[in-house]
Amino acid sequence: MRRLLPIELLLAALCLWAAWYHTPAGALVRTAGAWFLKTRSTARPLLAYYGAGVYLPPRAAPPPPLAAPVPPAQALGYGAWATADQRGTPAALSAQIKSLSARLEGSDEAAMLALFCGEESARYALSRAQDETGSPRLEDLARALPPRSADCIAQASQALMQAGAYSLAWPLPEAVRITSPFGMREHPVLGVRRLHAGVDLGTAVGTPVRAAAAGVVRRASSDGVNGRILVLDHGRGVTTIYCHNDELLVQDGERVRKGQIIAASGNTGRSTGPHLHYQLDLAGQAVDPLRYRAGHPRTSASGASD
Amino acid sequence: MQLRVAERVGRLRWIFLPLGLCALTAVGAHAAADVVGDRVLWCVDRIAAFCDGVFASWSVTAPLVDLIGISQRTFFARALALAWELSADALIAIPLLGYDEREGAVELRTARALLRKSPTPQRLVRPVATVLVAVAGACSVARLVQGSVQLALHASLLSHFAAACVLFALLIVFVPRAGFRALEHADQKGHLVSIGILGTVVLAPMMLAALYASPLVSFFR
Repeated sequence: MRRLLPIELLLAALCLWAAWYHTPAGALVRTAGAWFLKTRSTARPLLAYYGAGVYLPPRAAPPPPLAAPVPPAQALGYGAWATADQRGTPAALSAQIKSLSARLEGSDEAAMLALFCGEESARYALSRAQDETGSPRLEDLARALPPRSADCIAQASQALMQAGAYSLAWPLPEAVRITSPFGMREHPVLGVRRLHAGVDLGTAVGTPVRAAAAGVVRRASSDGVNGRILVLDHGRGVTTIYCHNDELLVQDGERVRKGQIIAASGNTGRSTGPHLHYQLDLAGQAVDPLRYRAGHPRTSASGASD
Repeated sequence: MQLRVAERVGRLRWIFLPLGLCALTAVGAHAAADVVGDRVLWCVDRIAAFCDGVFASWSVTAPLVDLIGISQRTFFARALALAWELSADALIAIPLLGYDEREGAVELRTARALLRKSPTPQRLVRPVATVLVAVAGACSVARLVQGSVQLALHASLLSHFAAACVLFALLIVFVPRAGFRALEHADQKGHLVSIGILGTVVLAPMMLAALYASPLVSFFR
């Protein structure tokens, strides 16, 4: 039998170390080990290992209520403020992020990472990501950092996602009333109690629907339940969904600008009258879009819904 | 004394090397699955749009559209990526646990005999997939080493050098072994699932993804 060379031993140990922290199989073993030893597992949930969404802390707190509208230039500051348990002020955090961004080649993602993980970590991650892909997306930056940075990466990711939600515009004029808010309700067509995952905005057929933020059309399709439906991906785990449109004006894969007219509202699919179902998803979870707005459109007791 | 320690460590070879090879390939499979997360999401979107269009056509099947709502697509995309990665692990990483090293001369003779046989899809796909995925894994391990050294010692040159050395060593010492073991395993009879449609469906996209997840040049600049 040949002897195990030190270099082989070292390489095998490094591979096992990487697998322990960087694979779902490793996470399974860690979780099983923690269960066996009756200790707390530090492994992420299995599905959190994929970049289709964003890394998130195990229990992300809901955003605090807003006293005033969020200035678009301060959305990043508000995102950091909401994530960091409202320490400091959004304005001060915005200034800090802006200053960090200026030092980190204008990358907001690296600046947010620097805020939570430290500037040295962010600078190193940025240079590594640029060497590899040239992309300063948080997922690329996160890959460069060691396992002990997992918590601060999750915080930076959540802050960026919240900032994305705070920067969203409203898809219809503010005067349009909400005919059915977000939350549990009795379905107007099916008559069963279930979660209404968005807000219904009662408006006439043909009203222009505008993109809440810049993004990519992930889905432009039609079916008998959602009607003509548009799904926009704004990056950083933020997705907006527009259902029951009369006409779709953009196609799959198309890039849209903030405020661009993307559809004409309608009454298609399973709907009781003309309205727009507007939905905000954060990391694949439907949330109330009004949580990220200071001024709420008026709610109407009656009106079209789905 | 030193010899005794080396001997004792040497006895671990039978378990340590197979575990290391399996871990390297598993890390590579994860790196490959992770970098194409957006593409997986895109596929799930297309499938969801098609299914919604079909199911919503009849009142009996319409509730299925609500059952798997628009918000669940990220969950399904991630679950699909996980299933894909675990399938790839089962096809190319787990067999590496059966790595059985022989004397160098015997190893070379066996390799030559295997390479002389006519190339079938079975003999090509698995070893090539294993090598590509192992290279992606080597890049991930090197990246982890670089990040850890950089943030612990704050020495840029040292961390870069350490990552390059680890990557080079893995490419020389581990990746060929993984490829050879996969070739040997692919040649054995009784692994029909890996040569069938399932194996190709799992491994062909994994090979492309692994290429995308292997920024080799960035470590040697």
